Amino acid sequence: METEKVLEELKDIMVERLKFDPSRTSELTLATVLPKGMEGSLGLDSLDFIEMSIAIEERFGFVIDETQNVETHFETLGTLVAYIALHATGG
Amino acid sequence: MPVERAAIRKSLERLTGATGSRLDGLTARVFVDFAMCFSDLLSTNREPSARLASYVAGTDGVERLDGLTGGLISLTAHVGNWELAGRLLAGRSARPTHVVVAPEEARELERWVRRDGEGVRFVTRSRPTVSLELVAALRRGEVVAVQGDRALGTRGDTMISFFGRPAPFPLGPFLLASAVGVPLVPAFCVLTADYRYRVKVAGPIAVRRGDEEDAARAWGALLEDVVREHPTQWFNFFDIWDPSNG
Repeated sequence: METEKVLEELKDIMVERLKFDPSRTSELTLATVLPKGMEGSLGLDSLDFIEMSIAIEERFGFVIDETQNVETHFETLGTLVAYIALHATGG
Repeated sequence: MPVERAAIRKSLERLTGATGSRLDGLTARVFVDFAMCFSDLLSTNREPSARLASYVAGTDGVERLDGLTGGLISLTAHVGNWELAGRLLAGRSARPTHVVVAPEEARELERWVRRDGEGVRFVTRSRPTVSLELVAALRRGEVVAVQGDRALGTRGDTMISFFGRPAPFPLGPFLLASAVGVPLVPAFCVLTADYRYRVKVAGPIAVRRGDEEDAARAWGALLEDVVREHPTQWFNFFDIWDPSNG
């Protein structure tokens, strides 16, 4: 799956499931840090990560294998896009 | 501890309707019961789980756990000796139990009150992505134990009626349950008159997507019953209806 398409789908998830203001997504880049508490981050909290992980599985058609250390894949939009692109079954 | 004492007194007034000398007595009793539970926590933490049964005077509903397969969330509150309940139930379920805790304010206390082992693992809520670990544990059929009576002061709180007034409660346990599709099983461990403990396990709360706030209200009603019965064993030393107040 192409990086750009995955990124756009993730932005949709942020608006639809995490209730982000759509205007915020235009500022996002692959370098955007996701977890809150880090400088310049998007500020996702623990509930956001639960919601986002479930939404990713539904949208991209694969099960996130949390037995692996998936936290590293959720560090930035770039790492998450790469992880999804590797596992997504659609598109 | 005048601030904590005042907060407890105010809470007890609302929980019990007591005034005057009876309220003074109940307020003092909270500190006695807390001291008892805390000292037992320190000693039970150092004992093998097989010996913990000697602290238990009886159980209610523990057999409910036997019929549950797959992951579940053990939902408890700052009532009695909640950590003893966690160790006892972890020993019974033979499934790894991940106990979610706030970063301890007094870090030097951590090694005394948080001891991994015998199927129990403490997970500190120190980073947001810890929730991914909990999703994984539940999917493996393991147990996640969380406290459901202290709001986080974030958007993850919801207001529910508690003893007739709205109070913030954490919504996270209910969102986690609905996201993974596992039940919440309320469990408590209260001090008895002979200074032993009674473990109470209530019926599972199933949470469907979108019904998380209803589930939180059901939990609040259940917690009200337990706190009404054991008002001096509810150890929240602040105004739970308005945590920003002091």
